[in-house]
Amino acid sequence: MFTKEKTIFAYTVEKCTNCNLERKRRFTEGDFLFAETSKCNSCNGVTIIEKIFGEAIEK
Amino acid sequence: MDFTNINFDQLFGLNDDTNPIMMLIWIVPIIIFVFYGQRIQLSITSGEIKKGIKKLEDYKTKSRNELIDYIKKNMNPKEDPTKKIDRFLDYFTIMPVDMDPNGIVAKVRHIVRTREDYSREHVKSLSPQTSDLELTKIQTLLEIATSLQMIYKIIHHLFLTAKKHNNYPLILPLQMILPFILEEAEAMHKAIPAFKLGQPIGDGIGPMVVGKMMLDTKKESIAFQTILSETQHDGRKLFLLKAEGPGSTVGRPGDAVELIVSKNKPDIIIMVDAALKMEGEESATIAQGFGAAIGGIGTERFQIEDIATKNNIPIFAIVIKQSIQEAITLMTKEIADKADNVRSQIYDMIHENTKPGQSILLIGVGNTMGVPQ
Repeated sequence: MFTKEKTIFAYTVEKCTNCNLERKRRFTEGDFLFAETSKCNSCNGVTIIEKIFGEAIEK
Repeated sequence: MDFTNINFDQLFGLNDDTNPIMMLIWIVPIIIFVFYGQRIQLSITSGEIKKGIKKLEDYKTKSRNELIDYIKKNMNPKEDPTKKIDRFLDYFTIMPVDMDPNGIVAKVRHIVRTREDYSREHVKSLSPQTSDLELTKIQTLLEIATSLQMIYKIIHHLFLTAKKHNNYPLILPLQMILPFILEEAEAMHKAIPAFKLGQPIGDGIGPMVVGKMMLDTKKESIAFQTILSETQHDGRKLFLLKAEGPGSTVGRPGDAVELIVSKNKPDIIIMVDAALKMEGEESATIAQGFGAAIGGIGTERFQIEDIATKNNIPIFAIVIKQSIQEAITLMTKEIADKADNVRSQIYDMIHENTKPGQSILLIGVGNTMGVPQ
């Protein structure tokens, strides 16, 4: 009956080009798709931003 | 007199339809509704419409203020830009006369591009050292604020005209279209944060798919804010085309296709774009079809269709369905998750419709905000 207020949070998914390990974190300004970000925690390979998206959380 | 013994049935004539009091109770409202019915309806409908117009006014004011704040923060102009921005917001476009439609597309393209080019220069004049990326963002924010201002002005004008003449039929079409207008205005207002932060929007799924295929290839600028690259796939030559990211632009794919076809005629063209879903359709579903999948005012589509027809090149389309709000706000997880699926459907389409040795022009259509190549 009552619609809950939804807040959209932006997330960035980084993927290792070597071992394909994915890591999801909150979006920070300056993030672009396919940009090289950090070293992979697992294999020390290069990680690139695979996806940037918003997810709605009901309050 | 004994008041305890009143017969109410007799007084109000409940057993007799000819009682004058009962007749008045029935006839007076009928007379009121006959003569004042439309005015009553007008005042009820006006209340609902006023609420909608108030929302539109809020969107208009907020988008203007956010644009001015963003310009002050990111362009560091020497003077206060408010006066100039207010002038930009009032820019209008007079579409060409369509009594003789022959050659009208070129005229529309000329007028629209003139507006785009001069708006860009005028925005840049606020602070000439502004980067191209910031400039594309500000130009999009300006377009949003201008559109919201225009929507508010038109709806307010229609409402006041109906009220001024106490004309109920005049307010009916307004009542019918207002929910759709509000939906679009709300979507535009909600799009502002994504453009300010440089985040990819739902419409960017086409450039996102093609942009990833362009990584590690040699790229060249083929038309204004439009990038081309070449690669190989399973013995076929792939020409990849998209708007130049990560700025907020759709590029000029029409001009680019014209140049590519004049140099290397492709055997097929595949266009990947976001498409508006119908009510009841699931969001982020993928559909394949034929024809030029590209939105906008129609000039780019006309140009691509014209070139394809003259050169007898089949056009295939892959679209990712979404609502208007999803298309212009931050990309949803459901849409982003479909990128790999779309890419595999592109490869399937290539295998099904071409032979080794042939060439394919693949176009990622849409706004490339936050999507480089």
